Formats: sequence, C-alpha cells, structure tokens
Amino acid sequence: MSLAIAGMGWVTPLGTGVDPVWKRLLQGEEASVTTISEKLTDAVYSVFRVPDSALKGISHPRLRRASAISRFAAAAGLNALESAGLKPGSQNAERIAVIFAISNGGVTYTKRFYQEIVGTGAQAASPLLFPETVFNAPASHLAAILGVTGATYTLVGDGAVGLAAITMAEELMQNEALDYCLVVGTEEIDWLLCDAYRRWRLLRLAPPIEPFSRQNRGMILSEGAGAIVLARDGFVTIERAHPGGYFRKRAEAEKILKNILCDLSKVEIDLAISSANGTFIDQAESQAFHEVVPNALVYTGKPALGESVGAGGLWQIILAAQALCSKEMPPVLHAGHAVGLRLSLSRTPITSARRAIVLSCGLNQQAAGLRLAIQ
Amino acid sequence: MAQGNKREITNDPARVAVTAAGVVSPLGFGLGETLESLRSARDCVTPVMRFSVTQCRCKTAGQVSDSRLLASHAQIRRSERLHRASHMMIQALQELVTQQPDFEPELTVVGTTSGGMSYGERYYRSLNGAGDLRHAPTWISNYPSQKPVIDAQTVFGISAPCQVIANACASGTNAVGHAFECIRSGRYQRVLTGGYDALAEMVFIGFDSLQASTPEKCRPFDRHRSGMVLGEGAAVLALENLDFARERGAPVLAEIIGYGISTDNFHITQPEPSGIGARQAMERALESADISAAAVDYINAHGTATVFNDATEGKAISALFNGVAVSSTKSMMGHSLGAAGAIEAVVCLLALQHQFLPANINFTNPDDGVDFNIVANKSRPAAVDITLSNSFGFGGTNASLLMRKFEA
Repeated sequence: MSLAIAGMGWVTPLGTGVDPVWKRLLQGEEASVTTISEKLTDAVYSVFRVPDSALKGISHPRLRRASAISRFAAAAGLNALESAGLKPGSQNAERIAVIFAISNGGVTYTKRFYQEIVGTGAQAASPLLFPETVFNAPASHLAAILGVTGATYTLVGDGAVGLAAITMAEELMQNEALDYCLVVGTEEIDWLLCDAYRRWRLLRLAPPIEPFSRQNRGMILSEGAGAIVLARDGFVTIERAHPGGYFRKRAEAEKILKNILCDLSKVEIDLAISSANGTFIDQAESQAFHEVVPNALVYTGKPALGESVGAGGLWQIILAAQALCSKEMPPVLHAGHAVGLRLSLSRTPITSARRAIVLSCGLNQQAAGLRLAIQ
Repeated sequence: MAQGNKREITNDPARVAVTAAGVVSPLGFGLGETLESLRSARDCVTPVMRFSVTQCRCKTAGQVSDSRLLASHAQIRRSERLHRASHMMIQALQELVTQQPDFEPELTVVGTTSGGMSYGERYYRSLNGAGDLRHAPTWISNYPSQKPVIDAQTVFGISAPCQVIANACASGTNAVGHAFECIRSGRYQRVLTGGYDALAEMVFIGFDSLQASTPEKCRPFDRHRSGMVLGEGAAVLALENLDFARERGAPVLAEIIGYGISTDNFHITQPEPSGIGARQAMERALESADISAAAVDYINAHGTATVFNDATEGKAISALFNGVAVSSTKSMMGHSLGAAGAIEAVVCLLALQHQFLPANINFTNPDDGVDFNIVANKSRPAAVDITLSNSFGFGGTNASLLMRKFEA
C-alpha cells in the first residue's frame, strides 16, 4: 500500500514553515550557531537552536508547562495539518492517528528533575516536572490540542526512528477506519546530550558539519520538529517504506544500508536524501550509494540544519518531497570530495526527477529507508 | 488497530496465534515459576535496596534478582556492560527461543517507558562529581530504549527491525496490540512482541513525588487503597498468522482476537473521571474481536491501586460487563510500567492454558460503585475461554487486549 503526503510542517534552526526554510536552504544558508554550557563542568558545546520567533503564536493551556520538545512538535504538527487543509474535530477525532518519533525526549526537564533529586534529595522532586519527562508527553499534548481520541503512539529510537514511524503509519493505515495519520518527529537540545555524544566521540566542538569528508570530525546537534500528514491520495506518494534493520557494530552499518537501498532501487532513482552528519554514518552511506544508486544526486541537509536525531528523519522526507516538487536541489554545505558520489554541490535544477530515496542511518544501531515519487 | 468505527477490512482478517512466550518478573523466571506464584497468590513485593528510598513515602517494589539474571548470562560476551533491562530481555527471549527455535520474526514490536534510565542516572551522578566518568561511553551507548531489544535479538541471531513503543504504562499492551494488528492485516506473518522496564531511581521518585505510590501494601480496587508500588521485568510473545503456524506444526498456546486503543486527553497524569477513555479502549477491543462483553470470562485490570485509576477503571468495567471476574496482578508483583502489558498478556495466557483466575491480593473491602467479581486474595480454578487485559498510561493513552483459549 502506498500513502501520500497531504501536508507538511517543520520547525528548524533556520525557522519555521516549509517554503521559507526551503528557500533558505536553496540559497545555501546555514543555521546560526550558539553555545551551550552547564555548571557541572567547563565544557562548552556548539548547537543549532530553534530561534524564539519560530514558536510565535503557539499557545495552548496544555503547553503552559510543557518543555521545548512539546512546543516544537505542536508547532510543526499544526503547520502540517493546516497545509493539508485538515481541521480535527469531533467528526474525525477517531479517524486521525498520531505517531511520534523521538530519540532523546524531554531531556531538559528530565535533567532538572534528577538534578533536584541528586542535589537536594527525593523530597525536592517536582511532581510538575516528572510527567513531562515521559517519552509520550509531547504526543499527549498534541493529541489533546487536536482532540484526537483514537490511536496515539510514540516510537523511540535513534535517527532512523522518523522513518520507522512512517512504516508504522503504513501499518495503521491498513485499517480503513483511519483517514489520516499525523507523523511528528521532535527533539530538543540540552548540554547533557552534547556532552554524552561528545564522550561517545560523535560530536565536534564547533561547526561546520563536514559530510562525506575523509575524517569523521563529528556532528553538531540541533533541535526542532518535522510533521507529515499522510493520506491515501496525494501528489507525492511514499511508494515504499522499508521496515529497516539494525547493525551490531558501526562497521556493519554499510551492509544493512545496502540491503535497504537494493530493496528501494528496483526502479530508477533520481535523488537520494542522506543522513550523513560528519560521523561514521557518512562513510557507510557513501559506500552504499556509490554501489547501489551511483547515478542518484545525493543531498544531506545536516550541515545546514544540524543533527536533530528524532526529528531528523522527518526533515529528510520533507527535503525529498520539496526537491521533487520544486525541481531543485539545494547545495550540500561543507562537503568533502566523496569518491563516486554525485553530490549536489550547488543549487541544482532537477527538472526530470520523479523518485527519491530517503536513507536514515542512526547513531545507535538502527537504519531505515523509503522511496518517494511524484505523480 | 481497532478504531471507533467497526473494522472495514475487505478481506477476511488473519487469525493471530501465540506460539511461544517468555517472561521474567518479580513472580519468577519463566512461565513455570510465574504460574506457581500466580496460583499461590504470592506477594512478591520487597524492600527496595537498589537505591536510597529513605526520603520516599514508598519503600517497596517488585524486583527481579540481579544475581540470577547475571548468572544466567555469564557466557554472553561483555555481559557485565549490558543494562539490567538487556539482561531481562535476554532472559525472556531465551525462554521463547527454547520453545520455538525456528521462530523467525519479520518485525519486532516492544514497549518500554524508561530504556536504560539507571545508566543515565549513573552518568549524571558521575558528572556531578560522585563517580568515575571512564565508564560513561558504556553507560551512554547502553542507555537508548532500543538497545535491550537489539541486545536480546543479537544473542539469539534474530535480525528483525524493531519498533519500540513508549506510550507510558500502556506501552506493553500497545506493543502486543500493534503486533497483533500487523499480522491480522496480512502485512506480516510473524512478529515478536513484548515489553520491558527495569526499576530506576528517577522513575521511582517520580511516582513518589506524585504521591501515586504507597507506603503500604498495594490494594487494587480496595476501598482503602492508597497507591501503587513499582515493579520491573520483561515478557515476550511470538505471534504468528494462525494458518502459517499450523502449517509449520507450531503449537498454538492461545489466540489474540482483539485490540482497542483510545486517547482521553483529560490530563497528563490523571484519567478522565467518567472512565470514558478506559471504556472506549475496551469497547474497541470487543468490536475488533466481534464479541460481546458477556463472552469475557476474566479481566486482568490495569488496577494500579491509585485512587483515580481504580475508580475510573472500576466504573468503566462495571458499565460494560456484568459480574465479570477481575483481578489486578500488580498487587503481587508491582507495576512494571512498559513491561506490564506484556507480562499481563502472559498472565492471561497462563490463565487460559491452566484454567484458573489469578488473584488480586491484599484485598479487604470492595470500593463503592464497583460492580464486578474481584478474585480476592486467592487464585481459583475456573473455565476461562476469553480474557481481557487493560493498560492505561500517562497522557491519557488506553489499551485493551483480548485473548482466547485455542481450540484445535
């Protein structure tokens, strides 16, 4: 069964709104970097943050105490529904499913909650903060704002979780009692995450993200949300969502990526939206693209937007859909010379492009892919 | 997935068999020990020793023995680095694989709430000056929620992609229910499903801060109930297209026949007081199975023993069912959050296989307005053909699962 994209929305460090951000990407813009510190140590990290202006106008009683991750999700979700011309209400509340893709979750409130326990003791623990630490808090806030009374799911995983959520949407939409599925990927930044990824040797201290370079210098974390409304008909279709797989070791990532690409490339592929982010992922994806879809024009948005983990997969799908619809590919920023890859190194017209592959390789062993097509 | 509307699947939906299961919980290691604990209505809640609870109201939980877990997996490479949650998943999957060595799932769907949270706690405490950060990369790499699932699959050579559902306390039932729907729709033939959660300080204190946990015994549906106790564990089930399972000669332990999900949007930590969310989940499960409420013989309730949950769930059950047998087995083992729905699916499986009703222990006085038959304090033999298992979670997420005794 193929599903179609009926609406899209995103909140990114380059702003909000699919078309305005896309325009900035086409112009080769990169998000502004800010630094983030913490009393615990002297370590300072660079991040791409969502500008405050991106959340202007997003208010609801359910979001009063909610953390950034829930606000990003609400903004992107409402944006996507609006672009789909869909107004949830009592008539269709059961016919819309909501699926969230999350990796690290509400880490800022989680840290604050635990900080109080460690610093002062269990009696200082805040009953207001605790519920916001739960993975499905952002999904429950958005479901409440929309009045959705049917299925609401939160999937957790690594950078591939966004694509896993699309697969799950396909599974849910097998039931014809559902008309739409709103898939939202969301993530927020905290110093603790930067420190954790740095200790895991995946983060670099300052931009740029240099995709496909000979050395894996690391990524820069970012935040935001991406949302897609899936329906049964539409101009851009998800022709095939591969359920993905996992690799035991980083060195085995290439193998699973090739398997996914082989499955998705049984028809001619024009574009490939990569998840290359300056880490081991780049080498694995580069090899897989080179061997399986050598003629596809490859793009990664991570140097411009940062690595937003749970939101990243949804951003990739939006990039692919925008490229197919607008017939242009933005330039890959700070790219090295990747042998055997057709990289979109400048703003590139793609007038005859009809199909794109989105490939997501996560940092924690998961991988997934899907194929988009335009009518 | 059962929505409010009746199913409109054009082709006949596939029947879904449970062909193997594995469990580890405070009730015991494996189906045998679990059955024995259930039959003897054993109270498996013990004082918490894993972290300090001196400032907490509640000082007890249902806990899985570390020494037994680690001893079982000593042969696994670098097993000492794995999180307890990984060990629990390995333990449960080992039992399943022993029953069905040929089971090769196309998909894995597992529920959790906390992943490797205690490793996150260690990392934070070490950053705060209380430990050695040399082990931080191990803690960080073992923290993600999908890691215990991948660890267990790796040990047994299972390569299926995994979906990890984190729908708070409904996660386990959501996982089993979604796996059921994946096979029922014909999209998959074999799905591995389940849930896991390991006790963590932060979560324990979180529930304590909400005054949801009790300093006393856990007394679901009792008039004098005062809250929940936490638990931990893991359970997995092998689900297969029934025809496919019979073709390959796999034993069918039971059938899953219905699943309902609802979202009540009332409050992030409290259920809608009328019980509408719980009621919709149960109604949708019944619609999905195309059976009447009267056909259900036993309900394994969510039954956390909090004032709010049991009042709303009690109302919903009383409104839909007439004198059905109900128990909350959380009274014996605590609430294992993301694992609970999967463990309770195994409890229902055992009730169907061995024809008995598991007990609701620590029960003295029925609550007002509750009109059902509590299986008070002792398990009892009964003819059990159909069971219903409820799980409700933070965020107003509700799930119900129907299982039927298999008649060849």
